[in-house]
Amino acid sequence: MENSDVDNATFLEKRNMKLADVPLWALGMFIALLWSLPFVWMVSTSFKLPEHVMTKDIEWLPRVWTVSNYLKVFEFPILRWGFNSIVQATVSTALCVFFGAMAGYALARMRFPGNGLLFALFIASLMIPVEVTVVPLLLAIIKVGWASTYQALILPTIANVFSVYIFRQFFLSFPKELEEAARMDGAGPFRTFLQVAMPLARAPTIAATVIIFTLNWNNFLWPLLVTFDESMKTLPVGIAQFAPVIGSHTQLESFSISMAAVTILSIPSLILFFVLQKYFIQGISQGSIKS
Amino acid sequence: MNTKTRNALSRRTFLKSATAATGAATLAPMFAAPALAQSAPIELVHWSWLAASDGEVWGQMIDAFNEAHKDKGVQIDMQLVPEEQYVTKVLTAAATGQAPDFGWGTAGKAAQMARDEVTVPLDDLAAASGLDLSDFSELSLRAARYPKYDNKMYMIPMDLMSLQPEINIDHVLEAGLDPNAPPTNNAELLDWAKAMTKRDGDTVTRSGIMMTGSGVQPTVTWGIVAEQMGFMRASEDLKTAAVNPDAGIKAMEWVLALFDEHKVSTRDVSDRYKAFGTGQGSIFWTGPWTLNGYVNQGLNFRTYLFPNIGGTQKTYFEMGGLELYNQKDKGRYEATMAAVKWLSDNSFLWTTVGRGAAPRKSILERDDYKTAGIPWDKRGAFVDGMEFATIQEIPVVEGPEFTIYSGGNFAASTLENVWAGKKSPEEAMAQLQERWQKGLDKG
Amino acid sequence: MPVAACAATASPSSPIYSDRTKPMSNAATNSAPDDVSQPLAQAERRRIEWTGYLFVAFFTVPFFLFNILPVLFGGYVAFTEWSIIGSPEWIGIENFREAFADEWVINAFKNVLLYGLIIVPGVSICGLTAALFVNQNWPLSSIARTLFFAPYVVSATVIGLIWVWLLDTQFGLINHYLGYLGIPNIAWLTSTEWSLVGVSIASIWWDMGLAFILFLAALQDIPKDLTEAATVDGAGRFQRLFFVTLPMMRPVISMVVTLQMISTLRIFSQVYVMTNGGPAGSSDSPIHYIYKAAIVRHAFGYASAIAIILFLVIITVTIVLRFIVRERG
Repeated sequence: MENSDVDNATFLEKRNMKLADVPLWALGMFIALLWSLPFVWMVSTSFKLPEHVMTKDIEWLPRVWTVSNYLKVFEFPILRWGFNSIVQATVSTALCVFFGAMAGYALARMRFPGNGLLFALFIASLMIPVEVTVVPLLLAIIKVGWASTYQALILPTIANVFSVYIFRQFFLSFPKELEEAARMDGAGPFRTFLQVAMPLARAPTIAATVIIFTLNWNNFLWPLLVTFDESMKTLPVGIAQFAPVIGSHTQLESFSISMAAVTILSIPSLILFFVLQKYFIQGISQGSIKS
Repeated sequence: MNTKTRNALSRRTFLKSATAATGAATLAPMFAAPALAQSAPIELVHWSWLAASDGEVWGQMIDAFNEAHKDKGVQIDMQLVPEEQYVTKVLTAAATGQAPDFGWGTAGKAAQMARDEVTVPLDDLAAASGLDLSDFSELSLRAARYPKYDNKMYMIPMDLMSLQPEINIDHVLEAGLDPNAPPTNNAELLDWAKAMTKRDGDTVTRSGIMMTGSGVQPTVTWGIVAEQMGFMRASEDLKTAAVNPDAGIKAMEWVLALFDEHKVSTRDVSDRYKAFGTGQGSIFWTGPWTLNGYVNQGLNFRTYLFPNIGGTQKTYFEMGGLELYNQKDKGRYEATMAAVKWLSDNSFLWTTVGRGAAPRKSILERDDYKTAGIPWDKRGAFVDGMEFATIQEIPVVEGPEFTIYSGGNFAASTLENVWAGKKSPEEAMAQLQERWQKGLDKG
Repeated sequence: MPVAACAATASPSSPIYSDRTKPMSNAATNSAPDDVSQPLAQAERRRIEWTGYLFVAFFTVPFFLFNILPVLFGGYVAFTEWSIIGSPEWIGIENFREAFADEWVINAFKNVLLYGLIIVPGVSICGLTAALFVNQNWPLSSIARTLFFAPYVVSATVIGLIWVWLLDTQFGLINHYLGYLGIPNIAWLTSTEWSLVGVSIASIWWDMGLAFILFLAALQDIPKDLTEAATVDGAGRFQRLFFVTLPMMRPVISMVVTLQMISTLRIFSQVYVMTNGGPAGSSDSPIHYIYKAAIVRHAFGYASAIAIILFLVIITVTIVLRFIVRERG
């Protein structure tokens, strides 16, 4: 008895738990699993035969596993679309995060007239419904001859205010001592930013990257309107043409194919998070030098 | 990528030679087309929103054209654009002088584009190209015109569609009904519906008449029944909205009775296509675009003619066709029209396997028209039923707010209040009348 | 006005480390980014740092070109009638007058406030709870972390495909399992009573990932010695939560609530793919209505007018919200 208690204690202690925590842990994990069920169904349906999709009873696993839906998806120029999406999302995200970091840093740490006003303008722009601005912008882009180009896909999306917001919040709580030390050493503002501030800003960088990449990757309305050429479509736009989404337009024969397509569409963002979450934690723990 | 460079090149060379030819005017005689074609290859840009199985068939049509014109210097470059954003894209492209040469449209829904001269009137171009307009059904030609814009033709009809009831034959046999004697009037329809409905207590678990509680299905059902009862959304001269409102109100009550009185339908279905495919409903009025899906799936069903519920046999009419868009270089119209003519002349495949019935008499009269493509017991009603498919779009700028085939326009949203019991049919009719009148007044 | 609102955003996050001992409200009332420090540094800091303009320029130039210019054009269009072809025709405030008389517009605005009342607390509470759970670092917590975040990365198409099926009245998974609890079928997406709730549930699932990750990041930033000290003092789990953890999280909570409120007031995609605003407009939102007016009906003047009204509503709500969140501290 005593022995097993001790064993239990060490077993749990190693894992940061007390015996009383176990039910709570089980409940939490159960909810996490429930949270993922929609994904399970998405992936499972993507491996079903089209005629097995419409069933009255809930079938969690395919009766017959098939990759035919995926093959069908690859009959479309999906690699080309994927390539466009990767170019668009990565370039746009990189620029947005870097420029956002600079702006966020300046807004948090530097004193200049109009600082507060500019930030207010950024925040206020979060509240603007883009669905209306999209058409004047589109006309301008076509006028300058940028229809169906990468710059048309990328440039209008780089000024995502979210990035500034994250970095500003972070740099506001950034210890001044480090910067001051750098300045005493004679480093200019750019060097201080690049060599002192940014290396310590891993957590917000990664958070902003994941979030902005996701937004860019899933961006639909703008790439849809600005591409006039099959070979310049992005993945979500390309996929939309065989995965009609609106209730009144459902095309049943393509349901399982749609699921295969959206599974493919979801993978890059999930991988990005999966890969970065390790660094995310590292970045956070690095932040501990702050206290 | 290869094709892209080729396109660009061919465009440019074409433009050079075309500027010279522009003087020859839009209505240049027929011999000009082959002459042009030989001198420089033309790449016609075509936009389409056909997405599912019908889109595949249309792709075959375009491939066939390109194959047949390999050595003739004309090729079609097709781009897919989602239907909902289609007009927006055409308008923005046209506003900057970069509209495609031709694209898909639905009859009666493009009054705005006709008004803004985004689409091109086709009467003269069609005549010049040698397209035989007398081979088209009168109905199709009438639907292609916009009375408010000189009654000009803005579309070359490609297919005719109507809503007809598809009926699940397994349910028919199970209920002991005769599949060869389908319902033709209100009483018979309700008898069939009641015989095939299944309930658990008071809840309908299998609808005799496939309906949804909101969206397209109840709206279009109302629209058809109302017009059968003598209601008109707009008078013939497009001046008065909601003629015979009482008939419209009666039709709303008819739809409500399906749910509440006869209990042959349920509001709980969200995806009507899926529901009919899984046997949750027995009688489902829908269009020919569903045929490929249900046939591939192996569903045991037949299609019948829409019954006469309200006094006159009528059903919803929809026509697809090709429209030409305004070009800076008017010299392109001719080649485009020639391509459209070829597609129309060769639309047998499209109107047997693709969707809908042929608007051209010569195709309808072919011996193999009934045996080709999808079995006639499923496709036939969509061809024969065109005779009484007279409920058309209202060809005014605000037309999209009038259509009865919509899940989200003003008409549908207003009527949804009735289906949900939040507004009385009288109130809804008053709202429809007011809004539609405004739409007609706008022109 | 917005300046004031954002000045409030500006300060409260700094206290996490350096100003831990100071009352929060003090920090919040200071609108300058930096507050009291050594006198020497103070003199240094009074200087205007002109390089700041260079720092913000890289972001601000595209911002003005691609975000602000089209908006200004939109502001002009709101007073005109315009359908892409031709130039806008000036009609004064006619669009606004029409919008205020349009019962569907009023309906959409009522709905969006309801969405805010359901989704914002839903996302915040779920996200915080999940973050607290994952932050325990119990076994498999990294899996739980991935699962909780994952929905955030999927596109609206996925929401449409999956949740319409999950929330189906007769054959949906949710009603199926609620049935075991004796709850009769609910018409989540097809009834005027429930459609807004149905869309909200899917939204909470979709949006929670971001709130979760922001909360988690903040929780991991809380120094361990602080909670440990509280434990030594004999504080239980809930006492630690309410007296140590949550007060320290105040800035991030206010950030999450604000961001979520702004994004909820702009709710669109999930409405579009799940219900298309129906039935009878019961799940319609202003942006969905704007989208329909602009992209489907090409009434750009009218759409822009509603957009301006929405913009004003969002600003007002944000300011009010800031006020509430700050007051509580």
